[in-house]
Amino acid sequence: MNSRTLLWRDLLVLFGLTGWALALPAHASEFAVSMALTCLMYVALSSSWGFFCGSSRYLSLATSAFFGIGAYTTAVMLGEMSWTGVIALGAGLATLVAVVMGLAVLHLRGTYFAVLTFGMAELIRHAISYFEKSVSGTVGRVLATVPEMGVIYHTVLCLAVLAVALSILLRRTRFGLALLGIGGDEQRAQTLGVNTRLVKVAGFALTAAIAGGVGAAMAVRWTYIDPHTAFNPFIGFQTVLIALIGGAMTVWGPLIAAIVFSVLAETLRLQAPQIYMMTLGILLILCVLYLPGGLASLRWQTFKAWWQDTRSWWKARRYEWSGDKARDKRKARENRIVGI
Amino acid sequence: MRFGGLTAVDAVSADIRQGELVGIMGPNGAGKTTFFNAISGVTALTAGELTIEGRTLTGAAPHRFAAMGLARTFQTPRVFADLPVRENIRFGLKFAGRRPRKYWLWGEERGVPWALRNEGGILQLIGLAHLADLPAAAITPSQQRLLEIGMALATRPRLLLLDEVAAGLTEIEVEEMARLIRRLRDELDLSVIWIEHAVKVLLRHVERVMVLHQGRKIADGKPSEVVRNPDVIEAYLGDEMVDAQEGLT
Repeated sequence: MNSRTLLWRDLLVLFGLTGWALALPAHASEFAVSMALTCLMYVALSSSWGFFCGSSRYLSLATSAFFGIGAYTTAVMLGEMSWTGVIALGAGLATLVAVVMGLAVLHLRGTYFAVLTFGMAELIRHAISYFEKSVSGTVGRVLATVPEMGVIYHTVLCLAVLAVALSILLRRTRFGLALLGIGGDEQRAQTLGVNTRLVKVAGFALTAAIAGGVGAAMAVRWTYIDPHTAFNPFIGFQTVLIALIGGAMTVWGPLIAAIVFSVLAETLRLQAPQIYMMTLGILLILCVLYLPGGLASLRWQTFKAWWQDTRSWWKARRYEWSGDKARDKRKARENRIVGI
Repeated sequence: MRFGGLTAVDAVSADIRQGELVGIMGPNGAGKTTFFNAISGVTALTAGELTIEGRTLTGAAPHRFAAMGLARTFQTPRVFADLPVRENIRFGLKFAGRRPRKYWLWGEERGVPWALRNEGGILQLIGLAHLADLPAAAITPSQQRLLEIGMALATRPRLLLLDEVAAGLTEIEVEEMARLIRRLRDELDLSVIWIEHAVKVLLRHVERVMVLHQGRKIADGKPSEVVRNPDVIEAYLGDEMVDAQEGLT
């Protein structure tokens, strides 16, 4: 398939999935819709994370900060502005913070970058906690009038479609190529004419905008918001895990993993929270060991290769356990002695 | 160029004219690569000045150097291993401020030579057209060296910096590489600075050679003059220079 055919295939799949998600609230139970909402939230978060961090290999742990900024914007501004205005403001503020943060830390790489983004996320959380306690004189905010479930669902769906569509389209542009180059060899990309600083900050800001918008939309699911709920680092970690398990370099990996993860989460969390976390951990370990490209890199050949590996392993064990190996060894030794 | 207490390259100045093929040689640790890093913007100068066609580039980011028409290769080939060979070339074409355009008639546009018009042209020039769809990780190291030159050419440079492009190649491959470099210079009207450890090859193919030793320029001139320079003979402990002199006569 050439590149244009692939683009049309990707867009068609996205179109189909969007239609399916649009039809869902009319046919499914309230529980299923709520599950789909969580799923869409992680699709948006991990797709946008994967687009920047997967291509450029900059592991950002600041997603929870951008999500929290969006959520807190809703908590403060919901009564004052229209719903679209609140979402746009949440996304805008997150972008602004990402630009400042990006200019400060995007010259670092690897572990240093990851740790620093996490540190900055924590800094923002504690700064807002402090501000609320000492200036506003409160520990949290109550959301009295919230939009209907349908509005929230369609907003998050819109953001998820936007995130996946951007991920499909931008990968084909100079911007996407530049991010890939940065991931491959940043200095080489620079000497070939890429303004790496600008590209990195723009990519980081784009991720933040989506996360901020999603945070602003999802905030109304909680009736009470305090910094510890809004800036929950768990949301950031889960985004990273989903993108990595799905395959951060691919378009569909984060989406597939978000669906798998949401279904697993909802079915296991209620009955046995420990097993749910353990399953997630085991899935991550298995992915890192046997599927470095993520769930999206699964092909029929992958299964065949696993099957062949298992078979040859089993053959070797049978040869050992049946005593044939020991006998062959003894024979070889005897032959050597006779040879002397 | 200083690193902590160590002065790696000191008071080396060079004037490169359009269409000139200049060689740089020097023993290990002479500062050849550091000199390249300094003039391609990879490491910032601690003192001194850099100009291209009268415009100052001191302290600018490397992408500005690329946009001004300066391209380089690295001592160990640095290609984008996951991307196909064709995409590697396309990378240079897409950036550096000069995008490829459609050609309606035969000819050159804004001084871009016909051979550098697109990926296909460049691949043909460096002789990798048959490997275009393979990932860059799958081709041999000597082909990766050619690919790196192709990536540099894709930025449509005016000055090409080659860092030990003949290292690790067989004798025949080295000769081919040297011929390619001369061809590029002649056909594309490039200025080329070529660092090489293998003195003999370098001296046979360049018109002017600079010798660096312990971070200083000790000689600059025609190859036949440089090999008789007493300072150069001393820096190379004589042996290689005797060989090189024989090779030149």
